[in-house]
Amino acid sequence: MFWQQLVNGLTVGSTYSLIALGYTLIFGVLGIINMAHGQIFIFGSLVGLVLMTSMQMPLGVALVASIVISAILGLILEYTALRPLRKKNVPHLASLISTIGFAILVEEAMHKIFGADSRAFPQSFGDKTFDLGVIQIRSVDLIILAIALILMFVLHFWIQKTKMGKAIRATAENTDTANILGINTNMVIIVTVMLASALGGVAGILIGMAYSALIPTMGMTLGFKGLAVLILGGVGSIPGAMVCGVLLGVIEVFTVAYGDSSYRDAVAFGLIIVILLLKPEGLFGRKA
Amino acid sequence: MDILNPYNLQVFTFILLNSILAISIYITLSTGQLSLGHAGFMSIGAFTASILSKQADVPLFIAIIIGGLAAGIVALLIGAPTLKLHGLYLAIATLGFGEVIRVILLNMKITNGALGLTGLQSIGNYLYDFEKAIGLKAQSLGISVIQMKSLTTFVFMVLLFAVVLFLTLRLNRSRLGRAFEAIKADETAARAMGLQVAYYKMLAFIIGSVLAGICGGLYAHITTTITPDDFNYHKVVEILSYAVIGGSEVVWGPLFGALVLTALPEVLRGLAEYKMLMYGLIMVGVMAFRPHGLIGADTFQKLFLRRKGKAGNEAKEGM
Amino acid sequence: MKGFSLLKSLATISLGAVLMVGCSSGNSAAPAANGGSTPAQTPAAEGAGGEVTAQIGVVGFLSGSGAAYGEAQKAGLELALGELNEANKGKLKMELKFEDSGGEKEGAINAVNKLINQDNVVAIIGPTLSGEMFAAGPVANEAEVPIFGISNTSEGINDIGEYVFRNSLPESIAIPTAMKAAVEKKGIKKVALIYASNDDFSVNGYKVMKATAEKMGLEITGEATFSNGDVDFSAQLTKLKQTNPDALLVSALYKEGSMVVKKARELGITATILGGNGFNNPKVFEIAGPAADGLIVATPFSPEKQDDKVQAFVKAFEAKYNKKPDQFAAQAYDSLYIMSQSLLGAGKAEREELRNQLAQLKDFTGVSGKLSFDEKRNPIGDAVVVVAKDGKFVPFE
Repeated sequence: MFWQQLVNGLTVGSTYSLIALGYTLIFGVLGIINMAHGQIFIFGSLVGLVLMTSMQMPLGVALVASIVISAILGLILEYTALRPLRKKNVPHLASLISTIGFAILVEEAMHKIFGADSRAFPQSFGDKTFDLGVIQIRSVDLIILAIALILMFVLHFWIQKTKMGKAIRATAENTDTANILGINTNMVIIVTVMLASALGGVAGILIGMAYSALIPTMGMTLGFKGLAVLILGGVGSIPGAMVCGVLLGVIEVFTVAYGDSSYRDAVAFGLIIVILLLKPEGLFGRKA
Repeated sequence: MDILNPYNLQVFTFILLNSILAISIYITLSTGQLSLGHAGFMSIGAFTASILSKQADVPLFIAIIIGGLAAGIVALLIGAPTLKLHGLYLAIATLGFGEVIRVILLNMKITNGALGLTGLQSIGNYLYDFEKAIGLKAQSLGISVIQMKSLTTFVFMVLLFAVVLFLTLRLNRSRLGRAFEAIKADETAARAMGLQVAYYKMLAFIIGSVLAGICGGLYAHITTTITPDDFNYHKVVEILSYAVIGGSEVVWGPLFGALVLTALPEVLRGLAEYKMLMYGLIMVGVMAFRPHGLIGADTFQKLFLRRKGKAGNEAKEGM
Repeated sequence: MKGFSLLKSLATISLGAVLMVGCSSGNSAAPAANGGSTPAQTPAAEGAGGEVTAQIGVVGFLSGSGAAYGEAQKAGLELALGELNEANKGKLKMELKFEDSGGEKEGAINAVNKLINQDNVVAIIGPTLSGEMFAAGPVANEAEVPIFGISNTSEGINDIGEYVFRNSLPESIAIPTAMKAAVEKKGIKKVALIYASNDDFSVNGYKVMKATAEKMGLEITGEATFSNGDVDFSAQLTKLKQTNPDALLVSALYKEGSMVVKKARELGITATILGGNGFNNPKVFEIAGPAADGLIVATPFSPEKQDDKVQAFVKAFEAKYNKKPDQFAAQAYDSLYIMSQSLLGAGKAEREELRNQLAQLKDFTGVSGKLSFDEKRNPIGDAVVVVAKDGKFVPFE
């Protein structure tokens, strides 16, 4: 059972990592926690799912739709909840509150548009199971793990090596200075927010495949997990998000397997509290 | 409109309860700390008070006060390490604290898990027994027993609210209040001036938590039934909205928020469906256009300059 | 009175603003001053020509995450209302007043208070959730207004008081029926339990399942929990699979329950799956797909039941709403028939008389089976055991 549970933990964990990447990217550049991230990408992937189930579109179209819709929502978030706050001298917690508000708006919109029910994901190639003796692994689990890793490396490379990546890093370092140096920081921020949301769009579809269903309220529950991973890994750290996402997934699954399943929901936040007390900069964070 | 109608009295009772809740988040915010754990403290107060009053036969109001103190003690324990954290981190840590408390309550035997506690004493019944004992009967006032009970609850809440508000206003004008204000304005400067920043932040956090705990006890004995899920993230959002819409610069801000956000869904019952949507819009809108809330310190001063002494109206003016 | 002058002064000083916005009417400056008498409660007036008009309040979960339940109830009630007002023309005219609780206790309390004190209804149907009933039931009971639960399955609902009724079978009747049938037919000896631990409905069902299993001498191989809103059940189910049970007992609402069933089959659990009342929804098939096959559920209502009354109801419901009714619609539909029967028996729309009539209810035959009340007004009825097969629930044989 141990190995099978480890596989379960790795699958759950890699979805957490994918979600946490979005949080990390936005925090890295803007220095804020985007509380609406979960709701945004679930909205996007629900659109994708509906295209698949009611219009018989292929998975590829659903994925693109999910990415595009999530990115658009990210753009709306930037214009309504983030940009207005940058222009004024506002309390530093304002962005936290406005993104919480945006999250509620998106969640309510989902309830109105898609209903509160869970929606089943159509059977797909991802259901194929490989039996490896002690463990069974589904191809979707492997896909998620692979995509999570690929995205992390691409992201890392892109931020370190490309021109846009440099602009993002400059903006993250100091927005005003970057502006003076001729970087269109508004543009950089828009790209970052849309990219983070689009990444969420990918994650949402993969999560739908892994769990065979999507529910509007997943935005909040999974969003909280991503948030936990962000803090655990150290805000703004991409490797931190990857490693700690998987770690959280494995710890949660082992809590269920060898402990008490009813405490599962306390694991993520329990860990946050512990880490904030012992090592506030997170496992992979730099000291501020 | 008929004020003695138990329906109206009930709505006012909830408004008053939420107003005290708003004061509790205001006090924590007055040192610039955003706590998302108020629902957690409320649940500690609610369950402590309910278990004491139901299973240990502790007199109702003593149970509620003990509930508040229990919340305060927990605040002391988690406050000591968490208050070192800054802004965002504190918000996330307290949010996490609330969730952890909820899971623990769901798993405890004495709280009856997800089923929660039912059949709790209601404040109205409890007080009416006293009134009967001193010979004050509904019949002699010419109103029905139910009206009498609702009215008693309402009057009790008015008195309690008045006391809490009075103390808060006193606090604001005291040395303590000025220390809070200084810390909120600039923590480093406050420390440089020799203020014990950590001590004052802790104090504000504990006072807010005790008040939230008392509100929990009151909530339990007004609704007569509680479950751990009554104090989930939605409750956090609700409490936060009070402070956001009104602003947290002066106590009238959160009070205005509690009043509007509790009364509006009742006045426009058809809109109850859009309650959460409304909270969302308020949070985004207010932050974008008036990040310090609709009612700021300047609103208050302007108002007082123009029409002296007409307190009680500032809420409407703030619109 | 001392209390009054105190209230008056305080209300005007510190609450001027509160009252002004809250009342939304101008003349509330001294609200308690004329606090003398309120008009005697006359819930409904006698109409012309001996026709009794009765206003009945409905408190439902009409918005928010559980709006589907409230909407189903509303549909069932409105269908019954049309039929009944047509049938009882000249004798009884019922009016329904819907209030939304939003699934919240404060919402339910306020709604019940409003219906009783402002709309002067003769009785209240609802609220949807057991938790809401525990909060709002005492309010109605205290005001001596009959309140009739149509979906409250928790233990202890009727203990709230004399005026509290329900036609929803408690889980303690439905689940054992299903378990007995399954154990007999499938030779089950070992069971594992899984349930949503943060949801009162599911926890209630779990307790009944566990008690029944112990009473029947079944071995419990393992227990696991999840939370409403969870999507990953692989860890729990992998754990339970190891214990090798003959049957998996699932207590959950259909949303999570169907996903548990699907995941269980995906993980290769071949045990019989038995669910609580929460599974009784056509959506189960949409979410779980073919994995739902073989799922055993006890239900007071099945649209497949070969019974003239049930089929007529299903047909009428489909004609009006273009979908099949679920148990929420069926029990709501029945409740209004019970109300009308009792109101006709009472001969007038009066709360006390209606309560007495309701308490005497015997052998009422509705679409959700036969119903009587015991001396504690608990419903006595029978549940149908159904099994999922090819996308619908058919009687279990």
